[in-house]
Amino acid sequence: MRGMGRREFLRTSGVGLGVGLLGGGCATAMKGDFAPKTSRRVVVVGGGWGGATAAKYVRLGDPAIEVILLEPNRQFVSCPFSNLVLSGVRTLDSITFDYASLRRHGVRLIHEAASAVDPAARRVRVGEGYLEYDRVVVAPGVEFQWEQVEGLAQNQDKVLHAWKAGPQTQALAEQIRAMPDGGVFVLTIPPAAYRCPPGPYERACQVAWYLKQSKPRSKLVILDANQNIISKTALFRAAWREYPNIDYRASNKVVKVDPGAREVTTDFGDKVKYDVVNLIPPQRAGTIAVQADLVGADKRWCEVNHVTFESVKAPNVHVVGDSTIGLPVPKSGNVANAMGKVAAMAIVHQLNGKQPPELAPGNTCYSWVNDREAIAVVNTYRIENGKVVQIEQKLTPGQSIAVAQNSLGWARSIWNDVIG
Amino acid sequence: MQFVISLVLVLAAASVAGAGPLDHPGAMKALNCSACHGFAGQSIADTMPSLAGVWPEYFKKAIADYASGKRPSTEMEPYAKQVMQFGVDDYAAYFGSLKREPAKMPVDGAAAGRGRAAAVQCAGCHGPEGQGDRAKLVPALAGQPPGYLKSQMTLFKQDRRSPGDANLKALKAMMQGLPDSTIEDLAAYYSSLR
Ligand SMILES: Cc1cc2nc3c(=O)[nH]c(=O)nc-3n(C[C@H](O)[C@H](O)[C@H](O)COP(=O)(O)OP(=O)(O)OC[C@H]3O[C@@H](n4cnc5c(N)ncnc54)[C@H](O)[C@@H]3O)c2cc1C
Ligand code: HEC
Ligand code: HEC
Repeated sequence: MRGMGRREFLRTSGVGLGVGLLGGGCATAMKGDFAPKTSRRVVVVGGGWGGATAAKYVRLGDPAIEVILLEPNRQFVSCPFSNLVLSGVRTLDSITFDYASLRRHGVRLIHEAASAVDPAARRVRVGEGYLEYDRVVVAPGVEFQWEQVEGLAQNQDKVLHAWKAGPQTQALAEQIRAMPDGGVFVLTIPPAAYRCPPGPYERACQVAWYLKQSKPRSKLVILDANQNIISKTALFRAAWREYPNIDYRASNKVVKVDPGAREVTTDFGDKVKYDVVNLIPPQRAGTIAVQADLVGADKRWCEVNHVTFESVKAPNVHVVGDSTIGLPVPKSGNVANAMGKVAAMAIVHQLNGKQPPELAPGNTCYSWVNDREAIAVVNTYRIENGKVVQIEQKLTPGQSIAVAQNSLGWARSIWNDVIG
Repeated sequence: MQFVISLVLVLAAASVAGAGPLDHPGAMKALNCSACHGFAGQSIADTMPSLAGVWPEYFKKAIADYASGKRPSTEMEPYAKQVMQFGVDDYAAYFGSLKREPAKMPVDGAAAGRGRAAAVQCAGCHGPEGQGDRAKLVPALAGQPPGYLKSQMTLFKQDRRSPGDANLKALKAMMQGLPDSTIEDLAAYYSSLR
């Protein structure tokens, strides 16, 4: 993974000295105020698409602000392109990155989870200690609502979601490989809102493509809780004409899974047998956001100011990425990245006593429909009366190799924008 | 002189925290662009053009062409409308103020050599160093990623970039006379120019 330009590197590398002290993230040392605040400080909770971007861009906007990023994982695994690992078109390795470049921007990384956010005291709790902040960015992504599907919570090791890229992606890929020809793969899709609206349908394409090539007698049954394909509908329908092995069933919400009987049950009581199941559970904001009471009455998502991404529920707390609700945007990595930048600019202005600029996000979601062609949907937004409003949504006219090539360009560039 | 002074004042007023990479008035507006075009418009992707060092006049024409649908692009039509919404002049000035770092994608030296010979016919418009012609809205080709240059020449050849545009007739006729291998050589050559 290439870093930023050489000039940026030289400009920021000196500021990052002393980072090693915190870099280890040794839990035993984290007691009390384990890193006393010496200047204006932003703490970022979660180093995914939204949080890592926010951390880096606060540093780019004002290198005098100290930024501490809390992220338990030592590697960043991209959900975008992880569906291609299931079909064997890409390796997990090719979508896995380290956090080294963020340190070059002077972001102080601690590979630990935050256990609480206390807006009144302006503290983030980590292990037995805490960090003080001027502003905190909460970007924990999604958490699964295991309890919504009977039998799921106690069988998490057998019933895979692969909806957070990483070991589960690899494990599901291995399950598909091991499935006998003639076997049934069941993919279940939760009701919206969930992370990445087109994601399950792209996954369907990749699984169906793989089965068509390697296990031609096998079938893919899709049980979708929604009434129809919820994103790029016509384009996915067109792509699926190449996949007679897909059996798509709309308005089929899965409420129960029984790994012993290898069977899922829908809300109508229909039972469907499987050889391999991929159950994408219903979702809500990351647990820390719920615990910090940043979520609305539904206890699922966080409402925010559309210009600053400040929580409507707590002062000096910004929320970005999949955890948010209320903007007319999809829960995507591209949007999380855009939100991270907008929030970072707002924070830099606020910490310098200035009015935050009115910036708006943009989004492109590419989906690969086989091993070489892709489709895309593009949305851009503006601000009207303090709210994010869509300017336009545009779809590719059809699937093509050129779109797939552009998606590779997007991936390379945006990965670098998030953690490069 | 007066122009220079007022420009300095504008920059100082826009600066949030002193000299930084995001202090130009266009820099913050352009943050969405880095998802594809690279930070500060320095592309690291073969299919995406660098925006750093694009002549402001040509930049504005390109944005207008995308926004009106004249130059078809699924990605760029919505983004061009966003640029119009937020003020195209700021973006044009920002990217125009940045020096392009040449593309780092590897190019085949032999292909670039053949491209140099073929480029004689292009120099009248694009300049001997591929620097373009600001006044005539001819873009600089030097240092753009080879994949982008190749795709645009192919789109011209197939009349799919600004289809039917009378002003581009000569250019397209020229492209139609070039075999795909020469297009690849030209892309390698212009990309390799510094
Ligand atoms: C299969 C699939 C395909 C997708 N394809 C695309 C695509 O093509 N394009 C696209 O734009 N989007 C795509 N997405 C969506 C994209 O991955 C998400 O929208 C994006 O990851 C959201 O970013 P985020 O920062 O909100 O969350 P994440 O990226 O999930 O980051 C959250 C981070 O917070 C950390 N965290 C959680 N709790 C804590 C805590 N208490 N303390 C510290 N850290 C914590 C987590 O470890 C995690 O690293 C896809 C998703 C999936 C599942
Ligand atoms: C999702 C990816 C994506 C994003 C985000 C994006 N672009 Fe583009 N851009 C492209 C692609 C692809 C092309 C080439 C399209 C074509 O074939 O004409 C392009 C071309 C351009 C060109 C034409 C360059 C030339 O030399 O003719 C300009 C100017 C441009 N983009 C400006 C912008 C600006 C400004 C932004 C941010 C507001 C932006 N783009 C955001 C993908 C993107
Ligand atoms: C008659 C003048 C003229 C000649 C000769 C000419 N070009 Fe161009 N070229 C242009 C103009 C004008 C544009 C911008 C078109 C537009 O506004 O969309 C352009 C655009 C391009 C682009 C797209 C650049 C970008 O940033 O999008 C490429 C690539 C290109 N020319 C390559 C060549 C090559 C290679 C040759 C020689 C084989 C050539 N041109 C000859 C005038 C010319």
